Amino acid sequence: MRFFLISLVFLLVGCASYPKKNGFVRVEDSDRPIQNPYFSDTLVDYIYKAKIDVFDKSFGGILVLKKLGPASHRIAFTTEMGNTLFDFSFLNDGFKVNRILKELDRKILINILRKDFTALIREQNSILEQYQKESESLKKATILGKEHYYLYQNNRLAQIVRIGKGTPKVVFLFFEINDNIAQQIKITHYNFKLTIALKAIID
Amino acid sequence: MLKRIFSFLPIRPEGILTFNLLCYLFFSGTAFAQVKMSTAEATALRTKVKAQAKITTTVSSDFTQYKHLDFLSNDIESKGTLAFKAPDIVKWEYTTPFSYAVLFKDEKLFINDNGAKSDMDLGSNKVFKQLNQLITASIRGDMFDDTAFEINYFIKEDNSLVHFMPKDEQFATFIKAFHISFNAVGEVEEVKMIEPSDDYTQIIFSNRTLNQPLPDAVFSH
Repeated sequence: MRFFLISLVFLLVGCASYPKKNGFVRVEDSDRPIQNPYFSDTLVDYIYKAKIDVFDKSFGGILVLKKLGPASHRIAFTTEMGNTLFDFSFLNDGFKVNRILKELDRKILINILRKDFTALIREQNSILEQYQKESESLKKATILGKEHYYLYQNNRLAQIVRIGKGTPKVVFLFFEINDNIAQQIKITHYNFKLTIALKAIID
Repeated sequence: MLKRIFSFLPIRPEGILTFNLLCYLFFSGTAFAQVKMSTAEATALRTKVKAQAKITTTVSSDFTQYKHLDFLSNDIESKGTLAFKAPDIVKWEYTTPFSYAVLFKDEKLFINDNGAKSDMDLGSNKVFKQLNQLITASIRGDMFDDTAFEINYFIKEDNSLVHFMPKDEQFATFIKAFHISFNAVGEVEEVKMIEPSDDYTQIIFSNRTLNQPLPDAVFSH
């Protein structure tokens, strides 16, 4: 019986939503849409040194992000010596490959990058549900049809979490925020070994 | 599946370079007029550069790199030092705004990315072997290979400007043209690598020192 109860508790916790599991309480939704300010200025060239760890491989390069207009971004990745490895355009949910190195031109890889970058740069999003825990708020939204949670700490966007079957699949961490620029960003995938660490390059 | 896709990744296509007519149109329209060399002038330049390359045993130089992407407001600027030792050891070391070094030595490519070290064998990779040769040749300026490039010669102010368009189709999907500027004595002053999209990387050399002994430590990984 005791085993059954413990199992039941686990089962219930296991089925609990992501906010509940993390101790958040549902509150009334805000009227204002979700804002991600980190790639929102058309006057800024967002340049990051990138380190990508995938399975047992590690490689680096320069990731360049530019807002071109409302819901329109361009993202390119080059080697340190300047050779472009890929160059993508994003417009709302739309996506275009401007250029990709032949060896990287694989649908599965392009899909991962598309999903990650769309979540990274999406500037506004509608709130589906809102939760609160002390000074933290959690806002549910969808990106490309997938469930995501935006975590704000003291009204500052600290994390975006993509959820699959109630558990985090991909986590985007923003830290060292300075004048609406995230000096450091870390994207971690939990269903396979892939992390992308970005460090802003200051002029 | 995914693992297999990523398995090639240490292969870093540094410098993969292509050409098109627009370059000519663009450059011929700029304020600094460039005039096509006569055959005799081109031959004289080749002779001068080859002679210069032949007596070059070491080179050390500072460089400033400008990465131009058309959609950016400003070029991405980085700086560092270059060391070359004949016949074919080259080290590019970026110091600002990040720390990154790439060393071509013994048919291998060694990378030191802010302390994280890796290497790869160039011997098995045709494109990288070509690239290594090309980087070495471009430092010395000695890449006048008509079988590998379509070559055009220009006079630009006091300097010579040579356009190299790779003939190899695979290579041309990386870089469509190299534009190399030589000073009056036939040393390389500037290298511009133009991508098929017309985005480019421009490297300008300064404080160049020729044939001074370079300690082995400079070329250690």
